[in-house]
Amino acid sequence: MSKTKDSLKINDVSKDTEKLASVDPEDLMPLPGEFEEGPWGEIPAETREKYACILDDTCILPIPLPKTKAEEDDLVRKFLSGMEKLFSKENNWTFEPMLETSMEHCAKCNTCAEACHLYEASGRHDMYRPLYRSEIFRRIYKKYIKKESLSDWRNGPIDLNWRTVARLGELAYRCNICRRCAQTCPIGVDNALIAREIRKIFSQEMGIATPELHDKGSMLQLKVGSSTSMNGLVAKDNVQFIDEEFSEETGYEFSTPWDVEGADILLIHNAGEILAWPENIAAFSIIFQAAGLSYTLSSDLAAYDSINYGVFYDDVQFARTAILQAQAAKKLGVKKIILGECGHAHKALTVIADRVLPPGLQIPRESYLPTLRDIVLKDKIKLDPTRNNFPVTLHDPCNLTRLMGIIKPQRDIIKKICPQFREMHPHGPFNYCCGGGSGYAIMSRNTIPEWRAKISGRKKLEQICNAFSECRGPEEKYVAAPCSNCKGQLRDMFERYGLLEKEGLKYGGLVELVVNAMVDVKPGFISWEEE
Amino acid sequence: MATVEYEGNTFNVDEDGFIDSFDGWTKEWVQYVKLQEGIDELNEEHWMVINVLQDYYKKNGIAPMVRILSKLTKFKLKHIYELFPSGPGKGACKMAGLPKPTGCV
Repeated sequence: MSKTKDSLKINDVSKDTEKLASVDPEDLMPLPGEFEEGPWGEIPAETREKYACILDDTCILPIPLPKTKAEEDDLVRKFLSGMEKLFSKENNWTFEPMLETSMEHCAKCNTCAEACHLYEASGRHDMYRPLYRSEIFRRIYKKYIKKESLSDWRNGPIDLNWRTVARLGELAYRCNICRRCAQTCPIGVDNALIAREIRKIFSQEMGIATPELHDKGSMLQLKVGSSTSMNGLVAKDNVQFIDEEFSEETGYEFSTPWDVEGADILLIHNAGEILAWPENIAAFSIIFQAAGLSYTLSSDLAAYDSINYGVFYDDVQFARTAILQAQAAKKLGVKKIILGECGHAHKALTVIADRVLPPGLQIPRESYLPTLRDIVLKDKIKLDPTRNNFPVTLHDPCNLTRLMGIIKPQRDIIKKICPQFREMHPHGPFNYCCGGGSGYAIMSRNTIPEWRAKISGRKKLEQICNAFSECRGPEEKYVAAPCSNCKGQLRDMFERYGLLEKEGLKYGGLVELVVNAMVDVKPGFISWEEE
Repeated sequence: MATVEYEGNTFNVDEDGFIDSFDGWTKEWVQYVKLQEGIDELNEEHWMVINVLQDYYKKNGIAPMVRILSKLTKFKLKHIYELFPSGPGKGACKMAGLPKPTGCV
């Protein structure tokens, strides 16, 4: 029998049970209004036979199920070998110092738990308490890597077997890596980093990663140029098509520049926008052209797709991708790289890439937001805010706000052009993740959609409902979510609960709101009509 | 890799139920997905969408943007949903044997 939410112990993780625990849908955090919630559903038999699906009702990380005692031991041995590398500077010069801090100073005060939306949404299930995962990891570290004497007695005992390792790997994928826990910790322990570094052991040492992030993610980007499978020519073709279509629809003639040597700015979009949200690409091109910016896109390998999934699970894949993007900028001779509306790309290329790029490739890299703020606030384009006279709220992507501290520019913009703007609570640096963070937004295997709706996206959905509490119902409303991953998560949540019809809820980027208010563009750039 | 058996044919499919390789596509696959989609009878319009998707895929190695599919078939998105209830990706592309879209889409 699986454990209930109040009876879970650390060493239950090692026990020979079918699964560690299960969240009863009845226990989920209630949402404001009527939201039908069904059962978890079944993980397909083929998946169960092949992979270690022994944590809960979902299977995200495909860890091959060991068939023999030797294979079981191998899983543990490789994990420990990878863990050892995490704690040596030569092998982990990217994150070792922060990880060490998180190992040594946790006071087990559990302040982090109340900050975690997964813990809260699950009805406070111990399995999703940030400390549950971190404590298992910490005990293994102290006993087997640091080899502290009397570790069981000093730090608490840990039964290390293949189930411990498999469940810990899966638990590393029960975290959005939003770092709300790290923000609230009085000591600075970063449970999200611990989750991410566990993912790294699995990928770099054991060759186990999720297909969406690895085979069909970072590998495709390095080989074809984009995780979407678009090579440079196809991407250019598609954007040219977007130029033509939207020039006609908006009555504003524009074209997106490619591979312009000596341009001031290299703009890198998340290439998923081209395929799924072409209006976002069009909006950037219209605004940048109208403001007279000298900018270009690049059709070089990986340089027309700002994604860098390595940031979620693998430093090597991370470095390979960041270097390609910086090299493309250097080749064009631009003054700086500007990132479009993609949160994890901000984290990857503007923050973590500092640790990876060699001196010759340290080209200035920044968010699009300060530039957009200048355009809007200095009246470089003519705007009519009455065109945006509908209720608007703003979702803060974690990587822009909590990680980078970009809080005010998007608010200066939105307050100027949206008369009915209202904040979610909490917001800015204290925001909640959309629920798609760290890769979930692009996953739909087995019961992952249930996980994303029932647990990871639940808090955001509550926040959105509450932001519009005085205008619930089919009245047209807009959630500005300036990040591709966040938009993917919102789309799937809104579809699942029929919120476009029931609540008039539309989501989209911030640049779309700007273009919707542009006097030189035909009214109706944003539309609630289904095409 | 999971497999699907349909009228004596075996197809390798991924965890999302998409055929694992376009080379494995046959007309029987279409009949199989048709049942899944709850479509009674395939008409010329269904086949037009399937053919356009396959031609584009062979040329570009990826499914077309929805807007390009609309332009090439002259069907509005709403009509594509009428033809394929699961939509252009999970319905039409799946039936045409294209791989599941990847990346942040």
